[in-house]
Amino acid sequence: MQLRHLWLTDIRSYEFVDLELTSGLCAVLGPNGVGKTNLLEAVAYLALLESFRGAPTDALVRAGADRGIVRGEVTEAGREQLIECELRPNGRNRVLLNRQRLARTSELLGALRVTIFSPDDLQLLKAGPSARRSFLDRLVVSLDPRQDAVRAEYERALRQRNALLKQTRGKLDDAAAMTLEVWDTKLVTAGEQLVARRTEAVSQLLPLVSDAYRDVAGIEHHVHLEYQAPWREDGLAASLQRVREDELRRGVTLVGPHRDDLFVSLEGLPARTHASQGEQRCIALGLRLASHRLVDQTTGAPPVLLLDDVVSELDPERSAALLASLPPGQTLLSSATGLPTGVEADQILEVRPGTIVEV
Amino acid sequence: MATAYAAAVQELIDCLGRLPGVGPKSAQRIAYHLLKVDATEANRLARAITEVKDKVGFCTACFNIAEGELCMVCADTRRDAHVLCVVEEPRDVVAIERTREFKGRYHVLQGAIDHLQGVGPDQLRVRELVRRVGTDEVTEVILCTNPNLEGEATALYLSRLLGDVPGLTVSRIASGLPVGGDLEYADELTLGRALEGRRVVESENKEH
Repeated sequence: MQLRHLWLTDIRSYEFVDLELTSGLCAVLGPNGVGKTNLLEAVAYLALLESFRGAPTDALVRAGADRGIVRGEVTEAGREQLIECELRPNGRNRVLLNRQRLARTSELLGALRVTIFSPDDLQLLKAGPSARRSFLDRLVVSLDPRQDAVRAEYERALRQRNALLKQTRGKLDDAAAMTLEVWDTKLVTAGEQLVARRTEAVSQLLPLVSDAYRDVAGIEHHVHLEYQAPWREDGLAASLQRVREDELRRGVTLVGPHRDDLFVSLEGLPARTHASQGEQRCIALGLRLASHRLVDQTTGAPPVLLLDDVVSELDPERSAALLASLPPGQTLLSSATGLPTGVEADQILEVRPGTIVEV
Repeated sequence: MATAYAAAVQELIDCLGRLPGVGPKSAQRIAYHLLKVDATEANRLARAITEVKDKVGFCTACFNIAEGELCMVCADTRRDAHVLCVVEEPRDVVAIERTREFKGRYHVLQGAIDHLQGVGPDQLRVRELVRRVGTDEVTEVILCTNPNLEGEATALYLSRLLGDVPGLTVSRIASGLPVGGDLEYADELTLGRALEGRRVVESENKEH
């Protein structure tokens, strides 16, 4: 999978950019704050339809412009596809695939797949469970784009159920009890499907993650992953029943996949509390690398790799080793300090204020 | 924020803006259009709205749109009163009528369970449905709510509510693949549901 051509109009710091991208390693160089991440963020937008930095869509549109456009031409196995996204802060965003408007944006998922390594990845270990759940959910969708519907169905059922719990104000009459049971059924069906997909992704990732850690850290350490769903032993239906009183009082759904976690351990100890900062960084990168390899194996085509300022976090030897261990494919790497020694780029882009030039 | 329009114009824009599918910009455009057109044209619209609200209401039996006491379906004595088709909106009645396949009567819920919009069973015509089903005339109820999450939840709720009524058959409209479509383009959920609702193929030469 390769992004061959990229056009940006009024996106972040860029008024207009027209770039042809080669396969292999493309280095995006420039001083801090000049807009390197903006470029990677725009590329990722074509795949995710959201900012990987968690910024609202409005923030992607250049200040003063009333809309921004990201266009990309993607080739995979000889097939060329054109993705066009129009971002409008005061209206609905539009997405076109091969000049056809999409009825549902989920139809786009899979046209371009990306793996992102960014300094924020450390949050995968440091932050709460939601970062790890969305890591898993994104992996599930990368492996099979159609699975996104399962997650969407669960989230909608959850929102409906929470709204009902809030409206009951702690008192459950017969009618409300019956409605609640209906939502329990919906939540259980969608939730069990969602968790089946997540645990399957974890079991596929597990055999790859220790190797990935070694490639990043240069040390043989055992990384273990375990999907934690405290409700699984009794089943979601029974667990909901058990916390019913509490749920009514607090007006919110207290058990289910939206509260699960991915437990990560290093050499048998919980990584969140016991691993050093450096080890945590290597685990986060290892998780990304392992999921990249898994998607490559499963789909037969490696996603486009976006390495945002990763080389500055590792010593030169380790970043060179990381780059060498990547499966062949297209990589966009941004750096303020240049490439690690011994690494040759196939294309070098220099980011200057408001523009990008090939050198 | 001080309004930039005369009070009457602002009121018109506000009213238009409350209509479904009309955003603030469209509301403004329509308001200016109405200010520009002939008085007769604008009055015709005003009259049409008043008239429809005066003459047209909801059928007292099924809550479909009706000019008078009963809607056209309920007033038609040839329709089978034993079968009720439960739908969300009056426009769903129109959709099913177009098929000319259904000879029974309807019950319009006037929505689906959607707590995010503050709609529970009490806000729907559920009590009326239970009352209708309680009369011995009705022997079959077909749940034709939309195949989305809210419609499915409503159907599930009704099937549980009506499940204990003796002598009553409750069924759910099938959902699955569109006629003339391709399997490979069907999304996961649709295909899954179509598989769930599969049917045994009646073989023509079964006797042999």
